[in-house]
Amino acid sequence: MPKQHSPHAVIIGAGFTGCALAYDLAQRGFAVTVLERGEIASGTSGRTHGLLHSGARYCTEDQEAARECIQENRILRKIAAQCIEFNGGLFVALDDSDLSYAPKFAAGAQACDIEIEELTTAQALQLEPNLNPQVRMAYRVPDGAFDPLRLALAFAASARQLGAEFKPYHEVTGFILDGQGAVTGLNVTDRHARQAYQQPADIVINATGAWAGHLAAMIGLTVPVTPAPGVMVAYNRRLIQRVINRLNAPGDGDILIPQRRMVVIGTTSFKVQDADYIPVFPEQVEEMHRKAMELIPAVAQTAERGAYMSARPLIGTAEDERSLTRTFKCYDHAQGGQVERLVTITGGKATTCRAMAEKTADLVCQKLGISAACQTADQPLASYRLYYSA
Amino acid sequence: MMNQPSPRKFWRWFDPRYRQIGTWAFILNRITAIGLTVYLVLHLYMLSKLVQGPEAYDAFIALAKTPVILFGELLVIAAGLIHGLNGIRVGFNSFGFGLQRQRETFIVLMIIALAGTVYFAVHMFGWA
Amino acid sequence: MKPTTWTITLSISRQSGGAPRHFQEFTLEVNPDEYVLDAVERVWAFHDRSLNYRHACHHSTCGACGMVVNGVEKLTCITPIREVTRDRGTLRIEPLRNFPVQSDLVVDMSAFYQNMEASKLNSVSPVEKADLPIDHPTPAAPAVDAERLVDCIECGLCVSVCPAAATSDSYVGPAALAGAHQQFQATGEISLLDWADHQDGLWRCHSAYECTAVCPSNVNPAWRIMNLRRHVVSQRIRSLFGAKEPRP
Repeated sequence: MPKQHSPHAVIIGAGFTGCALAYDLAQRGFAVTVLERGEIASGTSGRTHGLLHSGARYCTEDQEAARECIQENRILRKIAAQCIEFNGGLFVALDDSDLSYAPKFAAGAQACDIEIEELTTAQALQLEPNLNPQVRMAYRVPDGAFDPLRLALAFAASARQLGAEFKPYHEVTGFILDGQGAVTGLNVTDRHARQAYQQPADIVINATGAWAGHLAAMIGLTVPVTPAPGVMVAYNRRLIQRVINRLNAPGDGDILIPQRRMVVIGTTSFKVQDADYIPVFPEQVEEMHRKAMELIPAVAQTAERGAYMSARPLIGTAEDERSLTRTFKCYDHAQGGQVERLVTITGGKATTCRAMAEKTADLVCQKLGISAACQTADQPLASYRLYYSA
Repeated sequence: MMNQPSPRKFWRWFDPRYRQIGTWAFILNRITAIGLTVYLVLHLYMLSKLVQGPEAYDAFIALAKTPVILFGELLVIAAGLIHGLNGIRVGFNSFGFGLQRQRETFIVLMIIALAGTVYFAVHMFGWA
Repeated sequence: MKPTTWTITLSISRQSGGAPRHFQEFTLEVNPDEYVLDAVERVWAFHDRSLNYRHACHHSTCGACGMVVNGVEKLTCITPIREVTRDRGTLRIEPLRNFPVQSDLVVDMSAFYQNMEASKLNSVSPVEKADLPIDHPTPAAPAVDAERLVDCIECGLCVSVCPAAATSDSYVGPAALAGAHQQFQATGEISLLDWADHQDGLWRCHSAYECTAVCPSNVNPAWRIMNLRRHVVSQRIRSLFGAKEPRP
């Protein structure tokens, strides 16, 4: 139960960020309510590739994101081992262009404090016998794979144990303001009962990721976030034990991850206005199939198991969405005298969700004059199944 | 709500729509169990006629030789074969034997049950 | 290559508050190679925003999107439309059975997840112990030093299809028993046998074997339940003769 005199934080969105933030704020003594219009992790989070980034993917192009990734990678392996397959990953070079990228990659990884190890082609093929035998060189990196829903549920379960309240299938339809530009609550529809009600709040956090711009627009605010979807294709056999990355600058279809009995390849990147429904384009699926076969030829004999789209929330509105940073940003809407008691957190990667929550909770505490330190990096999370405990 | 489990939903035990052969085995085992139980009660009732003396019992035996009752007896034999043979299958399966072949086992056992029923029918109705 | 287009009708179970459920029909054009969940999501996106359904990963790792499609339990994210209907056909979509319905296609998984937690199934396992023992009697590949998430995705299809679960809400269900079996195989913990050896555990199963037929993730709960019975009985017999530990 929310504590009597604790400040009441209402989080909109139960993706990774919302769930991790609920846990963080509950630990810092807040009464927390999480509103989510669908199921837990039914937006971008659930449909993520499932890659626990080592940061190596971004170590040449986006070192800020790379550093965040490796730090959080180490923390999540400790606190969320229950939903992570941690077998490491390989970056493999197949052609001259890949080989010429290698020195830049090694320097970038070192600059970002990502532990990499150069392997001989024989070592790489011994580790991953299904790898393309044409492999020219390989690096080993600390990548992993995770189960998306269970990662969100583990944070949510931990938050619930501290009294946070989760309301899935409760959709925010508007903000309630006090007349002096401060948010005091939200108009909400309980989608199960199809009933509207008002949810009071001392502070509201918009953690809706790719939808953050839409939500902010409800009270005339602008959040520069671009939904940038990408396709993922799952195949029916576990052909690899480690994440396989193409040793080159980030591009389409350059990451294969193992997950349960499957391998999943991703991804593409383009821009959309509305992330509510993004069709799976057959030509993108075919492209993924070709790219997957380049890295793991045995994919050719493996049946497709699923294909899906997920919309990344990228900060900014640049022309080329691949150039947008993978880092995250926290907006205090009180700045510039706009709206008080409203914070937006968006951007980032699944891997960095805990750090995003930490930064946001720091800002929320600062706004409300509360001094409480983040403790989410220390203790393993509660079993994800306890989200459903009474 | 209407979707939750409830003891009153036992009718769902007898709904084979969209189900596999395992459900047919499950249904047949339940129907034959009910049939055999009813028969056991009738059987004990008939035996109790012995207490009432030879006349009452003879009258019953005369009735028992009519074709309708004979057909009922045949159903009892069929039920006994189906239930008994399937029981052996379930018993073995319960200790992990033959579970991967439970469909095939069921079909073979039911063919045996059918053959047995035909054999008894031929003898009881004197068709041979 | 232009993809084929089918026109299909989705007949979706609708239910809200305490009102009785009804079916609502939506006709849409689909590519038959799309998955059933894609069609359901499109109904929500373009036809009726009040539709509630569970989903998350869209590739069979999370287990959220189990529904009853034309009478059969399906994980809708990996069920191609082509497999369950035809052009101008109908898809009747209902929530899972034997779970409380919260609204439309959304069921309450609480009791199910509590049983899974009680089964103590570790969600991550060494790769060589993650497969069904009957699938790989001898290791097919050299033992690798790797771990993976186990096969059970906790979707609840096995509980939905089970006739024993239909009449007993205290039955822990096929998934949890299969979980206890897998964990027992990994650890040999006797307490798992004690937990399963119960009238609402192992002995509530009445051998319809439908759980294995609908399982989308190769868990084979029927085999695991029966194999667990064997372990329980042999452990009970051995303990009669004073043995404390299970046979390795």
